[in-house]
Amino acid sequence: MAKILGIDLGTTFSAIAIIENGEPKIIENKEGTRTTPSVVALTKNNERLVGVTAKRQQITNPQNTISSIKRLLGRRFSDKEIQNDKKLLPYQLKEASDGGVEVKMGDKWHKPAEISAMILQKLKQDAEEKIGEKITQAVITCPAYFDDSQRKATKIAGEIAGLEVKMVLNEPTAAALAYGLTKTKGQQILVYDFGGGTFDVSILDVRKDPDTVEVIGVGGDTHLGGDDFDRKVMDWIIEEFKKDQGIDLSKDQLALQRVKEAAEKAKIELSTTLETEINIPFVTSNSSGPKHLFLKLSRAQFQDLVKEYIEKSIKLVEETLKSAKLDSKDIEEIVLVGGQTRTPAIQEAVKNLFGKEANKTINPDEVVAMGAAIQAGIMGGDAKEVLLLDATPLSLGIETLGSVNTVLIPKNTIYPVNKTQIFSTAAEGQTSVEVHVLQGERPMASDNKSLGRFMLDGIPSAPRGVPQIEVSFDVDSNGILNVSAKDKATGKSQSIRIEGSIGISKDEIEKMKQEAQIHEQEDKKKKELIEAKNLADNLIYSWEKTKKDAGDKIDENLKKQVQEKIDELKKVKDKDNIEEIKSKTNDLSQIIQKAGAELYKKTSEQKPKQENKDTKDAEEGEYKKK
Amino acid sequence: MQKKHKKDNKEQEYLENWKRERAAFLNYKKEEMERMEKVVKFANQELILNILYILDNIYIAEEKLPKDLEENEWVKGILNTKNQILEFLKNQGVEQIDCLKKEFDPNFHEAVEMTENNSKSGIIIKEIKKGYILNGKVIRPAKVKIAK
Repeated sequence: MAKILGIDLGTTFSAIAIIENGEPKIIENKEGTRTTPSVVALTKNNERLVGVTAKRQQITNPQNTISSIKRLLGRRFSDKEIQNDKKLLPYQLKEASDGGVEVKMGDKWHKPAEISAMILQKLKQDAEEKIGEKITQAVITCPAYFDDSQRKATKIAGEIAGLEVKMVLNEPTAAALAYGLTKTKGQQILVYDFGGGTFDVSILDVRKDPDTVEVIGVGGDTHLGGDDFDRKVMDWIIEEFKKDQGIDLSKDQLALQRVKEAAEKAKIELSTTLETEINIPFVTSNSSGPKHLFLKLSRAQFQDLVKEYIEKSIKLVEETLKSAKLDSKDIEEIVLVGGQTRTPAIQEAVKNLFGKEANKTINPDEVVAMGAAIQAGIMGGDAKEVLLLDATPLSLGIETLGSVNTVLIPKNTIYPVNKTQIFSTAAEGQTSVEVHVLQGERPMASDNKSLGRFMLDGIPSAPRGVPQIEVSFDVDSNGILNVSAKDKATGKSQSIRIEGSIGISKDEIEKMKQEAQIHEQEDKKKKELIEAKNLADNLIYSWEKTKKDAGDKIDENLKKQVQEKIDELKKVKDKDNIEEIKSKTNDLSQIIQKAGAELYKKTSEQKPKQENKDTKDAEEGEYKKK
Repeated sequence: MQKKHKKDNKEQEYLENWKRERAAFLNYKKEEMERMEKVVKFANQELILNILYILDNIYIAEEKLPKDLEENEWVKGILNTKNQILEFLKNQGVEQIDCLKKEFDPNFHEAVEMTENNSKSGIIIKEIKKGYILNGKVIRPAKVKIAK
């Protein structure tokens, strides 16, 4: 079946995606990148360039390089916006005979739809090359505030590019589709889209009857974006340098270029780190010699610099809510779109306003194109192919020796899924084990959610570590968890069925994940301590077993030395000093090895021909408590 | 009878869907292998780009070196580390983009300035930042100044 392309035709960047094996997938362009600059140019040699190559030559050919064409698409020349934008755009604009806009590229005047078509044509060709199939149909997205004429122009652009436009889809709706949010009827979704140059807010109402997604509120600012953030950081760098060295870098083109790059880099780094270094050696020079720029910018300082923009965006969200006669409480889901939403301060501000986490797991530069591909999949009748499988939101495991949470199914595992692991007993002659099922990310059992527990008894009495208990976790396609435990010797088994465990609320999941993150360090220490204690226990146990089996072959003096070390270890074992436990365990281990070597020597002297009996047990896994 | 027929159809459909899913998985695996190859080939791209950022500064330092220090052995030693980095990059499959006096080509160059010059219009008169190619792909275009 011919594929339908999902296209996010953006103001500064565009992206394309397609449904493959039931999943939306971004298609890289010919240059190998996942987004394409929405720029078209005509060179002096009459060669048409689209995308990054057009952008790279912009400075040499500003009058014939068309960017931000989306701002003009479907507009009338007399529109206030056009009159404003006209001053900012480096290329020529004029009123068309029908009252629309035309732009000049080379000797020819083009309608905005024709320019958009050139972008679409490149995207189409790149996609065809990548997937090796002809593409004739597409779903193209547009902002929710686009009126009929702008939507019509978007459709015409597609048609000029040789695409049958199956639908002009609202960008916020596409984003909601990508997160699968339109499946829950009767809810309101707010889409917060902070791009490079524009900021849009849209409120969606997912209706049941008829089955539609209505836009019930739009707002924003067509000239507020991530570029403002970069500029703010640049200004700060220039200002600081001036204060320090008395030199104004803004007059030096070359220095300015380096400052701009450093500012963008700093902004990106501050999304993941708390402080970044801005280091530009030899940024300029004066009579006293070369000057270097070295500054530190903390996340807090950065947030302070861009506070006005974030506050402005939040004010616009509040206004949009107000005009839709809604309160922040009425919004069930929030979706973040646009690269700038990676800034932690923005995520925080949105969370504070709504009192809940926004959907942000999909790359915010790609989420609209992904949604367009999903819509395309539905329209192409691939709906049957779009089999949506869910993933476990949190890890599932059982409690093992020392109250440790041993994970069998890690979080984000797609189900249906089945995982089996062999465990054993922790004590001599232990005849029953308790299986305690846990959900969560914390390494200590008690810090996770308990989903249920059951006993498996009737295990034949045996030394610890010998019985083999097969524990199996099965999550079926409905998210129902079945846990069973089977003693491999007797075939005896027990199981438990846990319903609704997978579908816990998003807030709860988020809370548990955050807790895991906060406690990561102390949890690690706790787990290390328990592991050290378990190791000490095992060593003492194995010595006692050896002593019982072959004690007569070991020198009494050596036995006494081992006992001394054991007593020392026992003294520190139940305290919480991990270093001490480790060092005493190490002492003991060395002396036991000495005893082992002696034992081996004596045995081989006595029975030189006899082969070693293989005493190694076949099981892997851990020792189960109780 | 009809009921049985219906059941057969259903079974057929399930079997068909299962086969499709199996095929999709195998195809996916194949694609994943291809993707892995590409990932391996370009895995170092991010790292190399970050090293290039540092190398840029070494080039600038060299460019700004005062005349009287050019023959200084100590300075020469330091600049030798630049050659070490270049050698390392070469071994990683990184090539520099040649640009001075060449005709501007947006596939390899990014224009940042344009000035009046004796050269023919469109000719690169200054390389502001070096560009690089990794395994045949432009990972960073050269930033250049061209003649008007």
